[in-house]
Amino acid sequence: MGALSGKQKVAWAAITIAVLLYALFPVASIIATSFKLPSDLSSGTFLPTTWSWTNYEEILGPDGSAQELFLSSLRNSIGISLIATAISCVLATLAAYAIARLDFPGRKLILTTALGVSIFPVISIVTPLFNLWRNIGLYDTWAGLIIPYLSLTLPISIWTLTAFFRQIPWELEQAAQVDGATTWQAFRKAIVPLAAPGVFTTALIAFFIAWNDFVYGISLTSTEAARPVPAALAFFSGASQFEDPTGAISAAAVVVTIPVVVLVLLFQRQIVSGLTQGAVKG
Amino acid sequence: MSTEITGATAGTTERATRGAGPERRSKPVRSDRARAEARLGWLLAGPAFVVMLAVTAYPILQAVYDSLFRYRLTAPDDRAFVGLGNYGVVLGDPVFWQSLGVTTVIMVITVAIELVLGFALALVMHRAITRLRGLLRTAILVPYGIITVVSAFAWFYAFDISSGYVNSWFDWVPGISEDLNWFAGRGTSLFVIIASEVWKTTPFISLLLLAGLAQVPGDLEEAAQVDGATWWQRMKRVVLPNMKAAIMVAVLFRALDAFRIFDNVFIMTNGANGTTVLSLLAYRTSIGRLEIGLGSAISVLLFACVIVICFVAIKIFKVDLAGARGEK
Amino acid sequence: MRRRSRAIAGVAVLALGAGLAACAPADDTPVLTWYTNPDAGGQALLAQQCTEEAGGAYRIEVSVLPRDASSQREQLARRLAAADSSIDLMSLDPPFIPELANAGFLAPVPEEIADQVSQDVAEGALQGASWGDELVTVPFWANTQLLWYKKSVAEAAGLDPAEAPVTWDQVMDAARDQDLTLGVQGIKAEAYTVWINALVESAGGHIVETPEAPAEDVALGLESDAGREAARIIGEIGADRLGGAGLPTQDENASLTQFQGDSGSFMVNWPFVWPAMQGAVEDGTLDQSFLDDVGWAVYPQVAEGTDAAPPYGGINLGVGAFSEHVDEAYEAAACIVQPENQAAYFVSDGNPPSSTVAYDDPEVQETFPMADVIRQSLEQAAPRPQTPYYNEVSQGLQETWHPPASVDPESTPQESTDFITAVLRGERLL
Repeated sequence: MGALSGKQKVAWAAITIAVLLYALFPVASIIATSFKLPSDLSSGTFLPTTWSWTNYEEILGPDGSAQELFLSSLRNSIGISLIATAISCVLATLAAYAIARLDFPGRKLILTTALGVSIFPVISIVTPLFNLWRNIGLYDTWAGLIIPYLSLTLPISIWTLTAFFRQIPWELEQAAQVDGATTWQAFRKAIVPLAAPGVFTTALIAFFIAWNDFVYGISLTSTEAARPVPAALAFFSGASQFEDPTGAISAAAVVVTIPVVVLVLLFQRQIVSGLTQGAVKG
Repeated sequence: MSTEITGATAGTTERATRGAGPERRSKPVRSDRARAEARLGWLLAGPAFVVMLAVTAYPILQAVYDSLFRYRLTAPDDRAFVGLGNYGVVLGDPVFWQSLGVTTVIMVITVAIELVLGFALALVMHRAITRLRGLLRTAILVPYGIITVVSAFAWFYAFDISSGYVNSWFDWVPGISEDLNWFAGRGTSLFVIIASEVWKTTPFISLLLLAGLAQVPGDLEEAAQVDGATWWQRMKRVVLPNMKAAIMVAVLFRALDAFRIFDNVFIMTNGANGTTVLSLLAYRTSIGRLEIGLGSAISVLLFACVIVICFVAIKIFKVDLAGARGEK
Repeated sequence: MRRRSRAIAGVAVLALGAGLAACAPADDTPVLTWYTNPDAGGQALLAQQCTEEAGGAYRIEVSVLPRDASSQREQLARRLAAADSSIDLMSLDPPFIPELANAGFLAPVPEEIADQVSQDVAEGALQGASWGDELVTVPFWANTQLLWYKKSVAEAAGLDPAEAPVTWDQVMDAARDQDLTLGVQGIKAEAYTVWINALVESAGGHIVETPEAPAEDVALGLESDAGREAARIIGEIGADRLGGAGLPTQDENASLTQFQGDSGSFMVNWPFVWPAMQGAVEDGTLDQSFLDDVGWAVYPQVAEGTDAAPPYGGINLGVGAFSEHVDEAYEAAACIVQPENQAAYFVSDGNPPSSTVAYDDPEVQETFPMADVIRQSLEQAAPRPQTPYYNEVSQGLQETWHPPASVDPESTPQESTDFITAVLRGERLL
């Protein structure tokens, strides 16, 4: 690719700027809003007239009116998403291994089921789930969100991992076994290092999906015991119930976007490869 | 355990010719080994399978059952079997057809825009020099990772007549002035809803298309270039035909995803000005009004729509889900 | 649980909380969960105080509900339908009380408590806390909308709302003549129903004529002179753009923002606007001279000479029917609504008392110079339709009366009557 002509350089610079603007402008917009004072919101300008941390103090500061609400939901979101991600990675790894490696009737059925589940309209099942959950005591608990989150994270995990595992040269495992390693050793030494990146990528994608959920979050929780961040944003209030919590919501939005940006910065290569190999649902 | 693993490795050697599936094996050989392999397969994949079914199949069946009753949560004693009556009410109501229409419009427009925009982004990522590739990919992934609700708020606040700045920035555009209330009219509300949906989900479609681009044989394109084909000719004759499968899959998945749109509409208009989409109608009926019977009927119909779209795509447009992933 | 913004209150409660944690009550103390609507932390403070006063008889913990009233109802109704025993106390928006009472979700109010908490309560608030002539909740705070205006604008129009009640037509003419905007709530949400109801009631009508009838038999009163008059006013404000371009999405907060701008003239809004405007002055984004120009009066009349029926809102305390501590919960409710607590809550959170004696509190009088107008407004106020199907009625209204510019006195009342009736019969979707 080496040398670009001057014209190409300009073209690429223009393209890059356009892409950056496209991708980051709405983010910049909410960041700017999050630094506005309540009375500055109607100024009609992009940037705040005076930059203020007030909104962040509301959601993070010890005296902030939304602090407990926000931090507990942040805790819930992180915990629930991580657990759902971990469970779906374990289950999907086992399933994908079987699908990629074993010849058994039903492989196709499982992949088709995963596909079917991934296109399932969440709203269709939320009411029955609500009724079931309240009967068996899962309503407003972590488990009550983790289980439905699996319906979001498992299908894509299975597809992504199956795609990954099909590319692994399994002959290595055989070779290791020939060299005298036990089955377990062969698996651990030869296969795990090859499979780990795939599992990690899958985990990232699954986490994004669980983190993004809104419908389950507003329907299956009712207190700070399990309410995740996207649902909690509807609970913010201004200085009184009639004042719009625009600033606090923006600040919270920025805070929950930071981990996403960090993960994307660190692992863009993995995420892209994961999504291009086995993506089912965004 | 060890015999099972051996059985498994035996299966691997066959992988290259897979496609016809296990049934191609002759019966006598399908013996203990095959059975052990099948058992291990289900042992490993079973839990995932069961979980997936449990969290979707059970509730949808329950919804089908509930939809046959008149049942309001705040009047539990009033519950009565009404057969298909709820479906009659829903299908006979213009509100349902209107939301179906709005949902379809959103779906068609977003997918069309995203396909073009996503393809452009995919080309940019595909062609970018190494130095830029990381930067571009990172930027493009940011919308993908952002919570839909957050993106909805970002767009809402930017356009909102009291907290927004879009009006003052674009007041030189005909039709836009300080007085334009984006969320007071159907067209303008849908514009912002669609814009936020496009922004958030184009990265996904562009990554699927990027995967498709990678499958286009490079030598074919080079040959075309040598033959003096223009860029557009190369796209039309070589690149696009080779990407057909990937494009179809991307369109299908995004279409189904867009059909379920809820978060942005809920945040921005909550259905005002005729922007109610099907998911929102189902939510409002079963969760807002606590009309479990009617709500379940809408849910079941929504599910049926998804199946119809899927069926049409697979049977009529011959979307080959397995083929597009290079799994032939 | 601990949510507050006023620094002093915060420090006080933190101290209380710390003291409480240090000598945690014995395990057998009943813990009452109080589901509160979001506020500036005042309810959490009251919970702490009453826990202290109870001396170990019970402990109150608060759990916050969503911001808008319909979502609050959703959360509570769904949990109550599940016979949830963890709901002891609830902060309830009055229009949704009949639905919960009718479904048997509210524990009956003990006679003794009922007598105690209905003393010196403003008439509107007492009505709002009842269902079928019986007190089913404990009146807590009571909200009402006032007419806020710029004295300079009123003067230019030759009006003095503080002295003589003004009518909607006068206010509309004033805005039209001076090319200014009226602050009203035209957003497709509960706030819009509040406005419609106040107009219909002020014109002497009722949106629902038979509030206690079963769903199929509910009779609406929109197809009447009162309904048509309300439609005329809303339609005119919408069509003549008297509410500004933001009207179809304008909520209480947006009305205030507009009022503070150059185009502001008159506004109907809850008293929260007073502390909010003062806060803006402290922040330096609003001039003191603006505040000095702000006047207030009772809600505008529809027909000249007939007292207006201003909107009634607020919060009453309900006790969950499935609570394991009904008696303690009612004791706690009685403690929370003591007039001095209501006065303190008014000062700290800007939410006016339902108790008429609380308005005599000197601090209240100092913080809210319009306290007496609020009290008078509450005595005149009319609640929104008290029917178990309020949600359908309200959303049906919003569906047919939105946007304001589309409202036509000839057709809209009939359309909405037909629509709401069909929805209540289960023949239409919302």
